[in-house]
Amino acid sequence: MIELSHVVKKFGGRTAVDDLSFTVPRGEIFGLLGHNGAGKSTAIGMMLGQVWPTSGEVKVCGRDIQSQRSEALTRVGAIFEAPVFYDYLSGERNLQILSTYTAPTSKARIREVVEWVGLTGREQSKVRTYSHGMRSRLALAQALLPKPELLILDEPSDGLDPEGIHEMRQTILRLQRELGLTILLSSHLLNEVEQLCTRIAVLQKGKKVFEGNVADVKATRGKVALKTNNFAEAEKILRAQNLITATAEEKFITLAEGRSTAEIAQALVSAGLAVEGLWQHEQTVEDFYMNLIKPPPLQKN
Amino acid sequence: MFLAQLKNELWKLFGKKRTYIGFGAFLLAQTAMMLAFKYTRWQSDFEKLLNGNGYLASEFISVLTVSVVMLIPQIMLLMPLYATLIGGDLVAKEAEDGTLRMILSRPISRARLMFVKWSAGIIFAIVLVLMLNLTALGFASLLFPWKGMFVFLPGQAFCVLTAHEGFIRFLMSSSFMAVNASTMVSVAFMFSCFNMKPSAATILALSFLFVSMVMENIPFFDRYEDFFITHHFKCWLLIFRDPAPWPQICQSEIILGAVCATAFIIGAMAFQVRDIKS
Repeated sequence: MIELSHVVKKFGGRTAVDDLSFTVPRGEIFGLLGHNGAGKSTAIGMMLGQVWPTSGEVKVCGRDIQSQRSEALTRVGAIFEAPVFYDYLSGERNLQILSTYTAPTSKARIREVVEWVGLTGREQSKVRTYSHGMRSRLALAQALLPKPELLILDEPSDGLDPEGIHEMRQTILRLQRELGLTILLSSHLLNEVEQLCTRIAVLQKGKKVFEGNVADVKATRGKVALKTNNFAEAEKILRAQNLITATAEEKFITLAEGRSTAEIAQALVSAGLAVEGLWQHEQTVEDFYMNLIKPPPLQKN
Repeated sequence: MFLAQLKNELWKLFGKKRTYIGFGAFLLAQTAMMLAFKYTRWQSDFEKLLNGNGYLASEFISVLTVSVVMLIPQIMLLMPLYATLIGGDLVAKEAEDGTLRMILSRPISRARLMFVKWSAGIIFAIVLVLMLNLTALGFASLLFPWKGMFVFLPGQAFCVLTAHEGFIRFLMSSSFMAVNASTMVSVAFMFSCFNMKPSAATILALSFLFVSMVMENIPFFDRYEDFFITHHFKCWLLIFRDPAPWPQICQSEIILGAVCATAFIIGAMAFQVRDIKS
């Protein structure tokens, strides 16, 4: 549904996106991660034809966004952080206005979408009376109006309270489950990305530094958490028996090839150390992300 | 689809309060001027002017005469302010608020979006002029009779007309006024299409008009007056000359029409190549 091929965007002398390539296949929830200014919003802007790439090719729904923008965006919905509307008009009027930029939309379709997002009864109220959560729902409603196949969500949970974030997360899952949408999600909330996305790409200073499956990110083969009364002594024993290859933070050990946790427990107990806990460690997307983007340690001299 | 988009653009424009600032200001100014004309020495001075030119003042202090007297300062001072205020908002305000980004996530082409917005601005200019003229006539008819028309502006206009002929000229002058307002909106719209704040677009458009007016009034530039758009704005008054200088009026209208089109094209092209970011 989305194809970015060697895309570069420069603003003056500053490179905002540098040789970015990735593909989002149909039906996937794809996460775009990166710190502020990493180039996520610029990349999304290029997917929607709001920002023109300096070089490279962007295809949405199989069409080039620069030469066939209108055709490419016919079945695309988008939500941006801190949804903004014409506050002085009603929610329904806002939807009517925005729908005319795509195609004629019937009142029945607007009612259907309003009901889907749970705004029925408030659609005639002026948007200035809406809470942040209601604005998010209205943003979702406007994105769903053209019956999209692809939904681009740029920080959709930005500014929401925990309840709102939970609701948004459930809605995204519902969108994929019930409507079978392909979703590109840009977010700072790493646990949100972990729970929603099947694949992620991480941007740093405009460059893609990682692309892969969330399941692969979480599966950290051989990393085991060890809780014992003397970690240093345990490390010495385990290294002496070639059971581990590395330790970290005085709580993690990395098993040597072909070794199991049972062997670790046996070795430590035989040496008279108390094993208070021993379990396979599953890395979170947050751990992975923080390790990925952390600056290299300063070298002396 | 274009009509639906235009209708919605007008909903946006006429749905916000700041659109009505101009209408409100014109109403206040007209009320104040009419009362000042009626109850200060303004009317007696005007009567002296008429009598001095050999006309019977009581026959020409009328709805039409007073309406034009009220309109002249408003067209000179208030019209540019409110026309550029709206024109400067058309694109830049949406970019500033963030709604433009939402619109541009939809398949509408940028050129079409600009044409819809510009058309809405032109409709606003026409409505503003219509309202201005109608209220001028309405207010004046409360205190003055429907009689002959007298217009005297040294160097620009002089005419003495029957009520019927005067009303026809008044209607024609309204349409020329609408072209003036449309040109002001178009210039502000053009600046609004660049990456700037709405207030900056309005100030730039006002400055452009002001510089044109100042240069036009410098004697050295007399021979170049055709190059200043404010010179062509005066054609709404030329219609009150007897006989009306039609070639000059047509030339000015064509030039103003060309300025509108040029401003739209420059604005639309600038918008086409712009990056729209949050």
